[in-house]
Amino acid sequence: MGMSVALDIEARQAAAAKVAEEQALVRKAQAGDRLAFEALVRRFDREVLRLALNLVHRPEDARDIYQESFLRVYKNLHRFRFECSFYTWLYRIVTNVALDHLRRRTSRREDQAPVPEDAEGGTRDFFDRQPEQRAGANPERNLLGQELGEQIASALNRLSPRERMVFEMKHYQGLKLRAIGDMLGTSEETVKNSLFRATRKLRASLESMR
Amino acid sequence: MREAGMDEKKSPACEEFEPRLMLFAAGELDASQVVDLNDHLQHCTGCSLALTQQQEVLALLTARHAEPDAALLASCRAGLEDSLDQQEERSWLRRTIGALLPASWISPQPAWSAALLVLIGFSVGMLGPRLLRNAGGKGGTDSSVASNHATGVVPGGVTADPAFASSPTAGLSSLDMRTASVAGINVFPAEDNQPPQVQLQLNARQPYTVRGTVNDDDVKQMLMYILHNNQRFDPDVRLDAVDLLRMRNNDPDVRSALCQAVHTDHNAAVRLKALEALNGAEPQDIIRQTLLDALVDDQNPGVRVEAINALRDMAAKGQVDADDHLLAVLRERMTKDPSTYIRLQSAEVIRDLGPRQKF
Repeated sequence: MGMSVALDIEARQAAAAKVAEEQALVRKAQAGDRLAFEALVRRFDREVLRLALNLVHRPEDARDIYQESFLRVYKNLHRFRFECSFYTWLYRIVTNVALDHLRRRTSRREDQAPVPEDAEGGTRDFFDRQPEQRAGANPERNLLGQELGEQIASALNRLSPRERMVFEMKHYQGLKLRAIGDMLGTSEETVKNSLFRATRKLRASLESMR
Repeated sequence: MREAGMDEKKSPACEEFEPRLMLFAAGELDASQVVDLNDHLQHCTGCSLALTQQQEVLALLTARHAEPDAALLASCRAGLEDSLDQQEERSWLRRTIGALLPASWISPQPAWSAALLVLIGFSVGMLGPRLLRNAGGKGGTDSSVASNHATGVVPGGVTADPAFASSPTAGLSSLDMRTASVAGINVFPAEDNQPPQVQLQLNARQPYTVRGTVNDDDVKQMLMYILHNNQRFDPDVRLDAVDLLRMRNNDPDVRSALCQAVHTDHNAAVRLKALEALNGAEPQDIIRQTLLDALVDDQNPGVRVEAINALRDMAAKGQVDADDHLLAVLRERMTKDPSTYIRLQSAEVIRDLGPRQKF
């Protein structure tokens, strides 16, 4: 018991130190310290890129989101007033950029289908190009894995941009609904509804796969 | 696989629990709600099945979840660094321009800003020239430059308005000197072998007239200024200036200006005229060297002919010493100059200079 309390205190102190360090970096970056800004970028950019990649599925688009998000952060850093955590503020920007991107893509027919072509002339997105570990080297299982990938992509495409974002942030970024609400500028209840709708749609779409 | 059967068997309780299943799978249910849900699941196969399905779907999606590879991350970082560099350059430019142009103020208040700009323009137009002239004219005394806006032309005299009394060299401010163009040079012949009257009409911020004879320093300075800054004045004006300065070709300053014209003027006629103007001047090393330079370097055969003629005149009058340098140049011209006349005249000059040299 005593041990766990000590560990808890240590963890809190470490977290507080991390927050203080992050705030110091933000202040330096706000004062124009480019190295501090780059340190902030490196602290969060892997998560940002993961979110972008899993939302848009194409590395080129994910790179665009990454780039635009951090440039917006750079331009608007002076407006950050420490009223929330830097992480939350950063994610507000990233989610806005990503949602814009998803909405634009939805409104453009040519963007709805994955563009890159594989050697056989078919179209495959980033997920299709990932090795299907569960399928192993078995060609039949590879085919099944590819079909599965296509169905998942299709199921995800049926979600609205916001549902997609909420689902991604909840299940892959592991964020709490309240935090997602803060980042998306909406209430926890609205996020809950979005997640509910997303889950139902995915269940319905992937029913035949199980 | 068959749907969990929720639609067929959905009871009001199941409808109530359906959102909780989602929250439970998402780890968002609090402890008391989890207990309630577990109670329900124990006797509701439909909801149990729905939960299982939900968890399977999540597992399926999680398995297909992508992690960005290191190459993509590195390329994103490199791209961002480039963009930040560009951004910094742009913002530096913007800051600099912003400091010069208060655009942030002007844009939202166009009417006031237009009025302010008119006022600033008017003030600068009214006060600027006066301030510049006062600054440039401090210490100016006698001058033959008169502003037409003051008391008109005062021959060889003094500007009536002290505010405009700077030098033409003296009479014009340095700004005027840098920007003035010569509208014309009028020459009025005088009687009794007196030097002619010269009237130089200048277009500066205000029209000026410099009047006097070439013996007046102001006129001389202005004419020399024209030769020294030959790229700014028309060839006609430069030719007139050379012609007038010829009368003072024994003045060391004038001689120097004419020599410079021979060396640097882009117009062959001006160079030729400057060489002619040097003819009759007291023999000086500077003149001899200028003639030799023209003979060797000038691309225009007419100028080279004039140079060799002048040298021959000087040699005939015994005004040049037959030093090695001079002889070397003449020998080289005698053999290499494309003009037959110059080759012959070079040989004549060598002959005139004294005992036959060994070639």
